[in-house]
Amino acid sequence: MVYFHESVCISPQKSFPDMDLSEVRESENNLLDVIEPNYPGIPAGAKRRMGKSVRMAVGAALPLLEKYPLPDGIIIATANGGMEDCIKFLNQILEYKEGLLTPANFVQSTSNAAAGQIAMVTKNHQYNTTHVHRGLAFENALMDVVMLIEENKDAGYLLGSTDEISPYNYNIDRLAGWYANEYIANRNLYHSKAKGTIAGEGTFMVWVNGEAQGASARLVAIKTLHGEDVSSLQETLKRFLSENISSGQMPDILITGENGDERQQPYFDAVESTMDARVTVARFKHLSGEYCTASSFALWLSIQIIQSGTLPAVLIKKRGSSNASRQILIYNNYRGLQHSFMLVSAP
Amino acid sequence: METAELKLQVKQQIIKFLNLTTVKPEDIKDDEPLFGEGLGLDSIDSIELIVLLSREYGINIQDPKEGRKILTDINTMVAYIEKNRTK
Repeated sequence: MVYFHESVCISPQKSFPDMDLSEVRESENNLLDVIEPNYPGIPAGAKRRMGKSVRMAVGAALPLLEKYPLPDGIIIATANGGMEDCIKFLNQILEYKEGLLTPANFVQSTSNAAAGQIAMVTKNHQYNTTHVHRGLAFENALMDVVMLIEENKDAGYLLGSTDEISPYNYNIDRLAGWYANEYIANRNLYHSKAKGTIAGEGTFMVWVNGEAQGASARLVAIKTLHGEDVSSLQETLKRFLSENISSGQMPDILITGENGDERQQPYFDAVESTMDARVTVARFKHLSGEYCTASSFALWLSIQIIQSGTLPAVLIKKRGSSNASRQILIYNNYRGLQHSFMLVSAP
Repeated sequence: METAELKLQVKQQIIKFLNLTTVKPEDIKDDEPLFGEGLGLDSIDSIELIVLLSREYGINIQDPKEGRKILTDINTMVAYIEKNRTK
């Protein structure tokens, strides 16, 4: 069994140090950027060199590692790593004709910079891995932790995700049609009927081990799927539910990564239609924006919901007859190609 | 360019190259050590400063020992720039 204990989230909403979704922060120019804290725990010399995604990851990891100072591994998911530093470094190569280049942008741009910096700041020499499978980076990191805990029952791990908005990369993705050309306010995200969505970013860190005592939530199962076929997705979901939920039962809440992009709506509709009237349907991308590891924001929300027993009204799309919030199914898809289901329950 | 003007420019360039977001040019004293005490720069910063001298002033430092003397403080940097700059 895999249990989630304390978690930290830095997001475009008020999530650090505690969740407060009483007011939704609005997007600007189709971007939802994070509310960054001051990161008092990061040494000043290191902080000034860090790009945003690395800074967010280290800043979120340090409060957890104060409480759990000896992780048996640090497992981080990031699809793009320090994208802005990467762009700066590539521009330097062009500007200075592959001549004299400075090291900081390169060092910070690598995908494993976040996991490496967390290890260096906390002097941790254990297992250290970064998963970079685009829209399934976080799910792969989580599966890595699941396998590690199966092999090491007494071990504890820092699991996290981090991705940042890079203005340069945002423009490339917008030109490719992944972000909307017209202005969309996040409060109107699901009514936009646009091709494309709004961009987001964020960091999530959680302490994971095999102990139920003191846990906030439990991972029941996780499943990933590559493909564009809606019926295959629905079949996979039915099989996933039959394998992990008692016959005739449904999760209390479905949280989907619906993002207002009309091209991806058939997948969300298919998953929603598999649920029955008991299930409350919720969604989160109007709070986080779209990014490769956004499913980790949904997991953080799920942990908060299970722990508090309350589903914030701002998330609800359709209220079901079940008032419980003990078991939550998260469905996310990235660009209609990379799909994941995570089933989380009370410990 | 006057020495005082060049000193201000070098301080601004150091702040920009090293991303010293909380430091202002007037916070950097001309005779204050750049490394260890003072600004508290480290070895990675020294590489950034050597790149700065090359890009902005056309000065290529080959000998690390020479680099350490040049990068002692603002006075030593500016004196070397005035004597050796090619742009």
